[in-house]
Amino acid sequence: MVETNHVQLDDELWERINALTDGAAAVCFQCGECTAVCPWGLVREGALNVRSMMRQAQLGIKSWEDDLWLCSSCAQCEAYCPRAVDIADVFRALRGISWQERTVEPGLPSMLWSMYWNENPWSQPPSQRFSWAKDLEVPIFDPQRHEAALYVGCTASYDRRVQRVAAALVRVLGSCGAKFGCLGDREPCCGEPVKSVGHNPYFEEVVHSSARVFREMGVQKLVTISPHCYDVFKNDYPEVLGGGFIETVHYTQYLSELIHHGQLDLTPGVLNGEIKEGIGKQLREMVEVTFQDPCYLGRSNGEYAAPRYVLGALPGMVLLEMEDKEVDGLCCGGGGGRMWLETPPGERFADLRVQQAADTGASILATACPFCLVCLEDSLKAAGDLDMRVLDVAEIVWKSMEDNFE
Amino acid sequence: MVLSIYNAASAADTIWVYLEHDSGVLEGVSLELLSKGRQLADQMGWKLAGVLLGEDIDELADTAKAFGADEIWLGMHPLLEPFTIKAYTKVLYEAVIQGKPSVLLIGATPNGRDLAGRLAVRLRTGLNADCTGLEIERESGVLVSEVSGFGGGVLALIEMGLHRPQMATVRPGVFEALQANNTRNGVVIEIPISLEYEEINTKVLEKVTGEGVDISQAQVLLAGGRGVEGDFGMLTELADLLPGAEVGATRPPVDEGFIERDRQVGQTGVVCSPRVAVCCGISGAFHFIVGVEKADIVIAVNSDPEAEIFQHADYCILGDVSEILPKITACLRTSMEAAGV
Amino acid sequence: MSELHSVVCVKVVPKSEEIRVDPERMVLVRNDVRSEINPPDMNALEMALSLKDRYGGLVSILSMGPPSFVPFLQVGAAMGADFVYLLSDRDFAGADTLATTYTLAKGIQKLGEVNLVFCGEESADGATGQVPAGLAEWLDMGQLSMLSDIDIDEENSSARGRREIGGGYEIVEVGMPCVVSVHTACNEPRFMDYSRKSQAFDDESVTIWNADDTEADPKLIGIRGSPTVVSGLAEAAVRERRREFIDGSPEEIAAQVSEILRQILF
Repeated sequence: MVETNHVQLDDELWERINALTDGAAAVCFQCGECTAVCPWGLVREGALNVRSMMRQAQLGIKSWEDDLWLCSSCAQCEAYCPRAVDIADVFRALRGISWQERTVEPGLPSMLWSMYWNENPWSQPPSQRFSWAKDLEVPIFDPQRHEAALYVGCTASYDRRVQRVAAALVRVLGSCGAKFGCLGDREPCCGEPVKSVGHNPYFEEVVHSSARVFREMGVQKLVTISPHCYDVFKNDYPEVLGGGFIETVHYTQYLSELIHHGQLDLTPGVLNGEIKEGIGKQLREMVEVTFQDPCYLGRSNGEYAAPRYVLGALPGMVLLEMEDKEVDGLCCGGGGGRMWLETPPGERFADLRVQQAADTGASILATACPFCLVCLEDSLKAAGDLDMRVLDVAEIVWKSMEDNFE
Repeated sequence: MVLSIYNAASAADTIWVYLEHDSGVLEGVSLELLSKGRQLADQMGWKLAGVLLGEDIDELADTAKAFGADEIWLGMHPLLEPFTIKAYTKVLYEAVIQGKPSVLLIGATPNGRDLAGRLAVRLRTGLNADCTGLEIERESGVLVSEVSGFGGGVLALIEMGLHRPQMATVRPGVFEALQANNTRNGVVIEIPISLEYEEINTKVLEKVTGEGVDISQAQVLLAGGRGVEGDFGMLTELADLLPGAEVGATRPPVDEGFIERDRQVGQTGVVCSPRVAVCCGISGAFHFIVGVEKADIVIAVNSDPEAEIFQHADYCILGDVSEILPKITACLRTSMEAAGV
Repeated sequence: MSELHSVVCVKVVPKSEEIRVDPERMVLVRNDVRSEINPPDMNALEMALSLKDRYGGLVSILSMGPPSFVPFLQVGAAMGADFVYLLSDRDFAGADTLATTYTLAKGIQKLGEVNLVFCGEESADGATGQVPAGLAEWLDMGQLSMLSDIDIDEENSSARGRREIGGGYEIVEVGMPCVVSVHTACNEPRFMDYSRKSQAFDDESVTIWNADDTEADPKLIGIRGSPTVVSGLAEAAVRERRREFIDGSPEEIAAQVSEILRQILF
């Protein structure tokens, strides 16, 4: 007797998934390339069976369980998918169904409540969003005087480590007379954390209310610190709002423009166009740096050049590339809502990545994303014995300008 | 205007303290309130009384006398063991109506809060909860209570002119208990009790103490990070000396298996709100800080002068945890022994 | 027992870190201060809704406050509450806990048959923690306090809860109807159900009752019903960390820290 393995197909579920994803899974022909390249295969025996998820989505079978929440939306799979399936979208749609059925990972409802009551995902007081700037001279955005609003974002506003990135960037921009200002504690959250955990209806609400704030404040251009904010402003806001949205660039792109036009002068010993006596050491020892391509800047938005251009403009910087670079850059593990979920030791992508960084011989691992910064620094500390540190590009630029790499 | 069952004109010049007990011992907060009550009574020339309810608790009356009670109102009945809210409210109400104290102080313990809240309504009087200060105005006999609100951001003084008794609850540790004085004398007054089983309505089915790891309620949190290098015994020794203390950890030592995950403090672990958090060998990353930012006082020990934790601490110690911590424990042990604690 | 009906008392509170005090007029400055549902009440709502998931029945929200509370209470409806009632009247203002618990009790009495009354164990503003006990007294109900978990026995019409007490727990059983105070952060409140949301935020979703509707005794509500008065009000010093370094030899440091600990804890 042949035993048949009955699988329950749920037509209603299939329709819901189809509607949520615009039929994204339909074109998948189950080659399995996605599973093969997914970084979970590097840290886990069983890998993350992405192919099977796509199959379940295609047929309307619900047996994805906890694996659904492993995805960090790094889009490594999408880079290799021969059918250009929007795999991360499918994951988010399935997560959306989990919200409807109340089967989401613990900790995530609290993060959404934090968004609702505090307008940030970190349960921090909304009235203190701009406290990081209190001892700095940070211009407040004025549409009459400023071409761009520097969009700090929730993580750089509240996480003390990442606040140093905001401080460095503000100093760099201030030193070259860039016409920018910050939005103060009225700065709304971009909503990406909500999108990342798959709650699309709430995400759309956040988009509408945040866009309204930008409109009221007369913002015409946004420069973001986080590639996650950049990604939603650039790709999701126009779609949700049905039309256009204001011009958005990542800060490495903004710095690139300023350097390219000569407005930001990174010659050693020059600050604010003035020669600084005593700072003008000739090229100090070469500083070897390697760069972590943030998934949301690089792979998802094709921007590999800008951060490298900025680093390359710094005298004495030698850029070394990691083994897995650019389109194959290894995710830090923070995307896809995973900053609010616990990753067991031994399963952290960032542990592998800092090792790759150390293997280049670089003394600095450069990042351009708050999540990368936090995850990689954590892994670096855990490794304990690597002679390297993690710095954001903005911090590296400022330290270089001050000629102070202490 | 709502009227209390009896008012200031008919109140006696007495301060009553509800004496809570467990396992044959008076609760610390009750001794603290007797001490404070004694001080207030002396200032006003009033009497201090303790109210003791339960079964087979007459010996505790002696303790109450030793801590300053001039009178002990004693109510003993089988149905008063264990504590149940309806029975205790009924008996205490009847005693208060009989004695008509001007002031009634109750420890803000789980049972104390319930009892106070219920009794205040039955007496149609006011209740100042979780007071951090108590004074009585000489001329008027009005109790002025200091309370805080909004997470400690706002301080208020609360009083009631005519309603009696003036009730207040106080958390353990706010006032200091004086030394026992066994030469003191006091009068025991028996409270007549009539209680039926049907009136109680509450059954305590199970009572478990000292089980499971739940550090969220810790009064003192001793948290260790990478810097303790797995030596949590160091922290446990100090924890053993301190009331309501728990040992916690950051993620790295938990990951490495030095300590259970139940003890992980932070964004993806437990958020604590202790009176004191001592952070040892912890750098102070954001996701840990959210687990201790509600602590009243934070003490940090770290050998890295740049450690972020120092931005989030009240008292900062730059040094080697393995050297400093055992010394703190030894010092504390010595001074506690000297004080007879 | 017919359908299980739970009432959840919800308070809307200002965010503590934004509150300022006007010491001259002895009032709190509330303009432009953001508000939220009292966090322990969110836990109470979650507990009531979880019981409804298991046993069916209805959940009603009851609150006392100004009409500005409405959008906050509608959040509760979006989470799953079936009915929302707001007791709103100028005469309710200025109430201390005696008057507040009386007023809420009158509201509850209007709700028909009620089996359980849930409250957060304390509120983020006043934090007296007296409301559950006071309510139980006015309603002449038993009470289960500081529960982290609850179950009901429909046949015997009783409720059984796990009560967290320092260093351990108790399992206590009380006959229904009873008041339940819910231990802060004992559960994770569910996020709003977006299939209910537009209905929840509809203008009609909250029923507003004034003092007459509740048939409350005017002497027992608001300021008239409040024995306590505030005779002083001040802002406590801003809670920045001291960041004070303790110097000296390890022995000296140890002595200072030991003293600090003793002062705080003993």
